[in-house]
Amino acid sequence: MSKSVIEIKNLEKVYDGAVPVHAVNGISLTITEGEFTALKGPSGCGKTTLLNLLGGLDKPSSGSIEIGGVDITTLSENQLIDFRLRNIGFVFQAYNLIPVLSAQENVSFIMLLQDRPKEEREARAKQLLEAVGLKGKEGQRPGQLSGGQQQRVAVARALASKPQFVLADEPTANLDSTSTANLLDIMEKLNKEEGMTFVFATHDDRVIKKARRIISIEDGKVLSDE
Amino acid sequence: MIFKVAWRNIWRSKVRSFIVIGSIAVGIWAGLLIIGFSFGMNNERTASAIGTTIGHAQIHSNTFDAEPLSSATLGDSADVVALRRTVEDLPFVAGTAQRTVLQGMINSAKSARAVRIMGVWPEDERLQTTLPMNLVEGDFFESTGRNRLVIGEKLANRLGLKLRSKVVLTFQDAEGTLSRASFRVSGIYKTLNATWDEFHLYVHHEDLEKTLGTPLVHEVLVRFNETVNTDEKAVEMASSLPEGVALKSWKQVNPELGFADDMMAIMLVLVLGIIMMALLFGIINNMLMAILERRRELGMLMAVGMNKRKLFLMILVETLMLGFVGGPVGIVLGDLSTRLMMQIGIDLTSKKDGLAELGVQSIIYPEIVPEYYIIIAIMVVTTALIASILPAVRALKLNPVQAIRGE
Repeated sequence: MSKSVIEIKNLEKVYDGAVPVHAVNGISLTITEGEFTALKGPSGCGKTTLLNLLGGLDKPSSGSIEIGGVDITTLSENQLIDFRLRNIGFVFQAYNLIPVLSAQENVSFIMLLQDRPKEEREARAKQLLEAVGLKGKEGQRPGQLSGGQQQRVAVARALASKPQFVLADEPTANLDSTSTANLLDIMEKLNKEEGMTFVFATHDDRVIKKARRIISIEDGKVLSDE
Repeated sequence: MIFKVAWRNIWRSKVRSFIVIGSIAVGIWAGLLIIGFSFGMNNERTASAIGTTIGHAQIHSNTFDAEPLSSATLGDSADVVALRRTVEDLPFVAGTAQRTVLQGMINSAKSARAVRIMGVWPEDERLQTTLPMNLVEGDFFESTGRNRLVIGEKLANRLGLKLRSKVVLTFQDAEGTLSRASFRVSGIYKTLNATWDEFHLYVHHEDLEKTLGTPLVHEVLVRFNETVNTDEKAVEMASSLPEGVALKSWKQVNPELGFADDMMAIMLVLVLGIIMMALLFGIINNMLMAILERRRELGMLMAVGMNKRKLFLMILVETLMLGFVGGPVGIVLGDLSTRLMMQIGIDLTSKKDGLAELGVQSIIYPEIVPEYYIIIAIMVVTTALIASILPAVRALKLNPVQAIRGE
């Protein structure tokens, strides 16, 4: 039986304003180890907000998020930063690589933040870049890589810190179909071979088709969970 | 790797970084030139005053310092010889010269003025001062004759005197009796200190003694081996002097020179401070722009787990690197420019008369002042440190989610 990675209970996020907006409205979910899950829904449905809450980038208005037995909603800002560094990998829509660093340095950088030794950083970065099909491109900077290659570097970077799970926000939004297929194959392979848990926020059908669990969200609520 | 990232980040916007680095370099270059020029001018003025007229220190009797009467001597000839020997035995003393100093009046056919009459032993003056080399006409008691007088050019002009003009000097003898004697101008001198030239005239001590009836020595001028640590040397020398006499360093003899020295040090630090303030705003502006441009990247770094300490460090290192590049460039440029100016001099002939009033030549030769290089280096690092605070605080206040979205 798979181990529970994320336990969400009655999660709410309300943005104050003239008319309060319930971006996440009472969601309860359990995500287990090794899942390949897509949060789908139209723009503004709350999937990115939910992903941000899961990643500890945003604070919920109420409810709890337990990750590996730790309720991250009770952590201080500094504790959250450290928690993210050690437990969560992020893949962003716009890649967000450091342009002045090479592909290998971008991957290594996260491990540097974890104070890992240089030899380990270099070896793991090379191994991950090879795993995402970028062998031979280690020394190239983001500006010298295609969008698909940059996003693969971002995936390698997300995995570098050996996180409990990877959160990917619209990872294929800027990619063509070939790059998307490549990227999804790589993530699926990592999921199957290394048991890495992936959670996507997406409205890309190509991603949704690959997902083994699809959670539909609308108006901040879970519409279906298949 | 944080250093590597910081270094590479500097060169992301080459034009902007070159402008900031250039402004740091130019600011330091200008600062060093100002320092070199100021020190060159002031040291020349000081060296001129010390070498030509006042020496590094002077010894008088305590009563002379209180009121410079003719009777306030340093004792008889034996006392003066003993005093000079004591002083000359000190390792840092190059030599001494004794003088008779009288307050008096000079009368020419045209006018009369209050003056200080310096009764000198010409050989002593030649050895210990450069005044004999500053003669524009005549000689410094080398020619034979009686009652010869060497007078400053400015005073000579005021009194309408030329070589061989006759004047009458009035002064007090040791008993306080007024004495008068006629003298003939045998030399006209001109130093860099026009004020000195206007008030001091030199006569041979033998000619004075004939009128006074006895040798009077009021002053022993002391010359050191070099003009460094003169205050400390003066203190050490003072402790070896007999009772009843007092020593004054050149700063005490001519407080204006000492004051100029101290004031210049303060002014230069202020000038450097102003330059650094201008640089501070330039660096802050540059770094704030850099932070603004890299909001997404900084948001990503915070999201993936870069803690505030490391983020602060990265921005701090980046800012310091701007200073570490611009600083040495400015110091090298400043040093080379100063060395070049030391060779060719800065020609201010158009301000010749004004400079002469200040006791300075019309061509200024700047000086290298190594300790200011250290002060500048410390100021650049401090400026960069201060400049990094605001951009770093701005970066730390970024909300990762909003920053990643580019909001």
